[in-house]
Amino acid sequence: MEKIPDQTGYLILTEDGAVLESAGELENDERIATIIIDLISLSNTVDPLAFGPNEKFKKISITYDDHWYAICISNKKIYVVKRSISPAAAEGNAIAV
Amino acid sequence: MEKDLDKVVDEIMATPNVSGCLVADHQGLCLAAKGTAHVDSAGIIVAISEQACKIQPNLKPPTVCLEADKKLCLIQRHGTITGAIYKQKTEMKF
Repeated sequence: MEKIPDQTGYLILTEDGAVLESAGELENDERIATIIIDLISLSNTVDPLAFGPNEKFKKISITYDDHWYAICISNKKIYVVKRSISPAAAEGNAIAV
Repeated sequence: MEKDLDKVVDEIMATPNVSGCLVADHQGLCLAAKGTAHVDSAGIIVAISEQACKIQPNLKPPTVCLEADKKLCLIQRHGTITGAIYKQKTEMKF
C-alpha cells in the first residue's frame, strides 16, 4: 500500500468496520472507517433500475479539490486510500470521467 | 417554475454517455429525474452525499463516484441541492 503513488494515508478494514491496518493521515482513523462502512452499505441500495442486480459497484471515489479517497473491496476486506491530486493528474482525471 | 431546472437536466442528458440524471433537495425529495435515474433513489443519493460530506465537514462537498463494470454514478452536492449523473463508461485512453 505504501507504494501507491501520491498516497498520503491508507486504511484496511474488515467488513464490519474494524481497522486491520492503517498508516499516514488515516492512521487509526475510526471516525472515517465508520463513515465509509455506512457509505458502502448505502451504495448497495442505489437504483436497482439503472444498476441491475449483477452490476454491483466495484469502486467508490470521493474527490475533493486537492485530494481524493479511493475505496475498494477485495477478499472481504475494505481498502481505503487517500491520495493527493497534482495539477497534472487532475487534468487526467477530468478526461477519464 | 421548474423550466430552468428542466433545461439544465436536458443539457446534461444531451452530453455523450449520460444515461440518466437526477436532482434532489436536502430532504431527499426528487426535484427532477430523467433517463435511467429512478425517482425512488433520490433519498439514497442525498444520504450518500451527506455521508461523504462528513469525512471532511470543513471542506466543500466532494464529488462521489460509484463505479460498476460498465456504468458509473457521479454525485455532487451544491448547497442544499444534490445532483446525480448516471454514465456509461467509455474506454479509457491514456
